[in-house]
Amino acid sequence: MEKSYELNFEAPSFLKRIKGMLSVDFYRIFHTPLFYIFLCIAAIIPAMILGTMGAEGGEALYTNAWNIIAANKPLYVIESIGDYANMNMVFIFGGIMVSIFIGSDYRSGYVKQLFTTHAKKQDYMISKTITCAFSMACMCITYLLGGIAGALFAGNLSFEVDVFSLACAIIGKMIMSIGWAALYTFINVILRKFFGISIALSFFFGTGILIIGVAGIFEAIGIPSVLLNAFLYGSSVFACLDCGIFPLLSVLICLAVSVAWAMIYIVLGTTILSKSDVY
Amino acid sequence: MNAIEIKNLTKSFGPKQALAGLNMTVPEGAIYGFIGENGSGKSTTEKIICGLINPSGGSVKLYGRDHTDIDVRACMGVLIEAPGCFPNYTVWNNMLLQAANLGIKDAEREAVKALKTVRMEGAASNKYKNCSLGMKQRVGIAMALIGNPKLLVLDEPINGLDADGMRIMREVLVDITKNYGTTVVVSSHVLSELEKVATHYGIIRGGKMICEMTAKELDDSCRTYIALKSNDMAITKSYLNKKYARVESDEAGYLRVYDNIECEDVVTYLYENGIIINEIKTDKIGLEEFYIDLMKEGTR
Repeated sequence: MEKSYELNFEAPSFLKRIKGMLSVDFYRIFHTPLFYIFLCIAAIIPAMILGTMGAEGGEALYTNAWNIIAANKPLYVIESIGDYANMNMVFIFGGIMVSIFIGSDYRSGYVKQLFTTHAKKQDYMISKTITCAFSMACMCITYLLGGIAGALFAGNLSFEVDVFSLACAIIGKMIMSIGWAALYTFINVILRKFFGISIALSFFFGTGILIIGVAGIFEAIGIPSVLLNAFLYGSSVFACLDCGIFPLLSVLICLAVSVAWAMIYIVLGTTILSKSDVY
Repeated sequence: MNAIEIKNLTKSFGPKQALAGLNMTVPEGAIYGFIGENGSGKSTTEKIICGLINPSGGSVKLYGRDHTDIDVRACMGVLIEAPGCFPNYTVWNNMLLQAANLGIKDAEREAVKALKTVRMEGAASNKYKNCSLGMKQRVGIAMALIGNPKLLVLDEPINGLDADGMRIMREVLVDITKNYGTTVVVSSHVLSELEKVATHYGIIRGGKMICEMTAKELDDSCRTYIALKSNDMAITKSYLNKKYARVESDEAGYLRVYDNIECEDVVTYLYENGIIINEIKTDKIGLEEFYIDLMKEGTR
């Protein structure tokens, strides 16, 4: 006797889809050496920067140890690029990590597997953004620990700080990871066939060279650089030790800008993915 | 209900037209052998069915619904080119990740069932990157089976496999339709293997379906012939050519007579002309020859 099979089509809910995808992405993050390597890099770089300041003849880039986390004031145009050598560097490492992470999705055929079955393109963008934002937030923590260790090793740096402002600056930068992760996911999705270019672009955006350049032009032609707060890098430099406003407000600004840009990049990425073929 | 119904499907990549008004019907429960030359549009069609590439025109219905509907997509399993496996994870981990991705509650039971179906239960602890080509293909199919798909699309799963690998794959395909009740679309160049499992065929050329038929229709369409070997093949051929319309030599060294005749007639005729037959048999042309003939003839 022939078996009969009932055909029931049930669309998986958004929550079910995103939960499944996130569980795979988080599993992969925690089970890849890449993640731990970048955590170490995020710790070693500030430790080296501050640690070498204690060495004889070492250049005193900072007098306050916490400047490795955030600048004193919101910075746009600066005389020394070293002033930008704070926790924003995490966004450079993060960009490279996201490129490699998404690159492996395409290389392994995982993306094909996803898009041929239950997943929508927006799920992919959201899942990658959340996972990569988490990774960058973790890097912020190891960066902080590395910075403290380096400052202690240097021994000649001041630890004087308003703890609440410092905490808000750190939280603000961690929150900015959402926007950055969405940007990098977007870049890597649209440039999926050009792995080298996507890594280079991620690095380019992460360094903030673009916003520094634009700020320079703004200053030159008399446009207030505060307008740049509406952009991702602009608002992330706003998370500083003395932002001139109530520190919690700077966190909220970072949150609003980060989420807004994340949504823009997710929508753009979803649209491009939907309209283009997947290889 | 048809599992797949494609009407007037077109796809262009820039100036190159990959599909030119393709029609295709895959009945539910079929093992549909999808055949065509390289560049004929097989993979493009499969990728469109799977939602990987967008068609330029036409319609693709899966179980009567638009192929982009998420509810019908969730009932699909796919192996297109490489399986979506992470090389540094074990086969078992890859299976569990796929189950997690699909939100399957009893992931381990599903994974065991799928691995058993593809005869890979003993290799679950192997790292995927250490698996042979045949094993990788079977893992890919096992991954596609997670979630009990109603429709399975396999792009050339038997290409590059050794004889044993092909045999296992053949058994797997039959088991899938039996145990899962799944409709399978399988493309391949290894027609002799496809012939052993397919219940339906679709032959594509230049982005158009030139022939769709059931296995029985194929069997009925395949011509019978008499194959023989004699003590002097050259003379035998010249005699046969005098009496019969179509006589050809095959790769195995036989002379084939395609006219609708009995063995006895040929034996008697050759005997009367002093030719001794060493071996004689009747046979039917297979899918491969049918396909080659079809390609020579043009559109049916």
